[in-house]
Amino acid sequence: MTTIYDLERKLQRADRRQAGLYLFCNFIALMLISAYSALIMSPTVLTVLPEGGDSRKQMTAIFVLALFGCIVFTIYTASLFFRKKSRQLGVLMALGASRRRLAPGLFREVLSLSSLSALLGVAAGFPLVWLLWNAFSLMTESDEAALSIDPKCLFISLGFLLMVVLFSCATAWRYLRKTNIMDVVHEEHKNEPVKELGRWCGPVGLILILMGAFMGYNAESAYQALFSAYGPVWLNLLYLPALAGLYMVMLHAVVHGWFSRKRNPYRNIIARSMMKFQGKQTVNNMLVSAVLIAGAAFAAFYLPTLSASQIIDTGNRPYDYYFHYPEGAEAPGRQETEEMAEAGGVSIEDWTSGDYIILAMDGYAEVEGKNNSFDVEYRELLGSGKFISESSFERMTGIKAHVDRGEYLAICGDEGTGTYYLNSGSEKLTNMTTRGTADVKFKDYLGYSLLFSEAGFYIMDDRDYESIASGLSPQWMGHITMFNAGGEDSYSFARELYESLIAGMCPEYAYSTYYDPVAVISAEERGDESPDSRYFTVDYSQPDSSDFRMNWEYMPKFRIMDSSDYLRTFAVFLMTFLFISVICMVAALIIFHTRCQTIALNNRYVFDDLRRLGASPAFLSKEVKSQCRRVFTVPSVSGLAIMFLLYVMLQYANDGALTFSEIIALLICLGISCLTAAVIYLVYRATVKTVKRQLDIR
Amino acid sequence: MADFTVPSYVLLSPVEKKKGKVTQMLYVKDLHKSYRSGKNVYPVLKGVSFHVAQGEFVAVMGPSGSGKSTLLNCISCYIPFDEGTITLGGIKLSELSEHDLAKVRNEKLGFVFQDFMLLDGLTVRDNILVPRIIHGRVGQKAEELADRLLTLFSIDHIRDKYPSDISGGEKQRTAVARSLINMPLIILADEPTGNLDSKSSRAVIESFENARTTMNATVFMVTHDSFSASYCDRVILMKDGSVYRQLERKSDRKEFQDQLLDAIKEMSGDEK
Repeated sequence: MTTIYDLERKLQRADRRQAGLYLFCNFIALMLISAYSALIMSPTVLTVLPEGGDSRKQMTAIFVLALFGCIVFTIYTASLFFRKKSRQLGVLMALGASRRRLAPGLFREVLSLSSLSALLGVAAGFPLVWLLWNAFSLMTESDEAALSIDPKCLFISLGFLLMVVLFSCATAWRYLRKTNIMDVVHEEHKNEPVKELGRWCGPVGLILILMGAFMGYNAESAYQALFSAYGPVWLNLLYLPALAGLYMVMLHAVVHGWFSRKRNPYRNIIARSMMKFQGKQTVNNMLVSAVLIAGAAFAAFYLPTLSASQIIDTGNRPYDYYFHYPEGAEAPGRQETEEMAEAGGVSIEDWTSGDYIILAMDGYAEVEGKNNSFDVEYRELLGSGKFISESSFERMTGIKAHVDRGEYLAICGDEGTGTYYLNSGSEKLTNMTTRGTADVKFKDYLGYSLLFSEAGFYIMDDRDYESIASGLSPQWMGHITMFNAGGEDSYSFARELYESLIAGMCPEYAYSTYYDPVAVISAEERGDESPDSRYFTVDYSQPDSSDFRMNWEYMPKFRIMDSSDYLRTFAVFLMTFLFISVICMVAALIIFHTRCQTIALNNRYVFDDLRRLGASPAFLSKEVKSQCRRVFTVPSVSGLAIMFLLYVMLQYANDGALTFSEIIALLICLGISCLTAAVIYLVYRATVKTVKRQLDIR
Repeated sequence: MADFTVPSYVLLSPVEKKKGKVTQMLYVKDLHKSYRSGKNVYPVLKGVSFHVAQGEFVAVMGPSGSGKSTLLNCISCYIPFDEGTITLGGIKLSELSEHDLAKVRNEKLGFVFQDFMLLDGLTVRDNILVPRIIHGRVGQKAEELADRLLTLFSIDHIRDKYPSDISGGEKQRTAVARSLINMPLIILADEPTGNLDSKSSRAVIESFENARTTMNATVFMVTHDSFSASYCDRVILMKDGSVYRQLERKSDRKEFQDQLLDAIKEMSGDEK
């Protein structure tokens, strides 16, 4: 060893453990961000998750959270690396090494470590997303789930990479600029006590979380009611009190603890004081972990919430087969269906059918003006409704509807769900051929899930039905068929019937439930621009795509097909959210693990002193566990509890009640929370073991 | 090294008093330093003045909070000072740039710290060579000097060991050897025996003595330990950020230690 270069190389070799931790953390952060950005920009995902839709927004929101978490994490990792490095730098400075002399070696090391780890992370992100996606794909066998990656996602990874490299160089520069060499030498043991706010901060934090959730959720509707305008994006800032509250909850946990110590004020005093004096970093880390756990839980809860109602709804259908079709379509009749069923080894039972007519319903529309504002405008031809006569409904379902002349009922889900899609304020119905009208009044909702759709079904009195249907042209008419399968149902029969239904449809019926023929005519008559039809068309050649199955207006409901194909239809949704959940969870677990490792690194001397004072391995072990437990428990419990409560709130706020399927979904969410807690516990055990090994606690 | 007349207000060593004109190594004049914590300002050094002649072994003693370590850190250029002058071998430290200060630290000062400050990843011999490496390329002469220092301080048997494998006394003797590798003008030692047992303390102090006699080293040491201080030519007692008194060693070591203890007692008694 003869030159400063040799000296630096030798010191770097000796510090490889610290450098390894820095490399690992950067690598993980970049890998997660690259994998996540590859996913959210993947054409596979973007095709299935509609633009402007809730799923797309949720996916992006969790990405922003994960990005925020990873940024804080990498900043923390860099500062940790430099804290350990500072003693070495300080000693060299104290022995006369100038900044000019130290800078090249330091920058060389920092640049090589940060760019190497970041590049490896970016490179590993793509195999990770591919591996995870294909592992999930094994469960779904969906053709549309083949992952394609848009190279533009690299811009996010490269931006993050640049941030990592620049930040590490800036930190190196900051250390070199310090004039007080003793500060640099003692940086490693420098305490960063967090500002105490008194014992009130925990309860106030909880109140702020609730306030933030309430204000954020209701801000949009309140804004619309007050200003007759759509809320601006900044309205989302009203969620911020929840974040501040979460910070205060973490702060309270670190500084005071959540349990009363009146009986034993000295309990965990050492662990508490150690955490308190590195409180700034601890609280920040815990906050980021809590946010990531919340993101993971949000994504994981999405799956049962989406699936439970679908599965329960499919299982509870009163008929195995239901389909409706327009007058102009050539749908298989009873005889043809029976022949198909016979070939499939199935017998047809309880065959029933009926007619419906499409009428225009009046009501109030929100007309968008300038600057996001809107006016409420009355329209005689607001939208369409599919009307069934009272007797026809009773014949098909066996349910007496009780509707008088001049009244109508709206068909919602069995448990009163989905009422917000239905028009409950119409007072005038219009025959779109003759333009004859009938005055009506909304009577009530009636639950019958099989006939519930976003383009709703309504029931009216037989005489009203006869009267208004008079002169209606066939394009405004349709038929409904329902039946059961006798004996064991056959997928091949269901599939054949499905394909023959599609084959009998003209191209003009290839539209989604969001297409409203009445609204289009109304727009034309007003001279307004018609909405682009491309957004409303579906593709007959892709009958298994999620877009087709979820959106086609005439999509039949066949129990055996819906049950068997559920995973395939929703594969991309499920996989996307499962992936997001895994990514956020892994990020949080790594932060937990790293934070606990820094307890060992930063407090080694405290543990040595305690040992000298006669502390037994059992006592030291208890102190380690006490600190690690807090790092793991508080963010995990907060993140999971907040998300669970948010889901309860969302499910309740949908329609002002918790339905059976929603309760089942929430119970599954609770189960997922327990499973997540079990995984976190296992990582906690492994982490405690590592920390104890690092501190030589046997 | 500069020769110049010492102003009357500076505390003079006995040798200097006799000659009037001395070879001065370190000259501190009216040094002030305060620490800030929020809006509060805490003055730590309140106009400290003294000097150290070449080849002298001087200790600074005083109670905790008297400003000893701050004084040493200012002389070492580890922390900036507010007012006053520090002249080292004729060079005014306050007039130097960051780069030149580093050069002074490397070439003209040798350091010994209470917690040794050895680099864990380097062997004992490598640690001794670090200031030389910072100075430039290590040549054969430097390696020979390192080997001589290893022998001089009786640590050549641990030359290839790492700091974690050696005792506290051995670590501090390594630090003393390191402080001498660039043949500095002065060795600055901050509580060098603070973490050591009596046997190791004696070995470290003897190594300073050794450095002085064999290499004509000047030593300026901050200590709490009257035993260590009793080896010095002169002891400066500090109290509340000012020089309280200085004592010269005129007799044998043991007697000087008693003198020191009495003076410390007297200084503490003033506080009551």
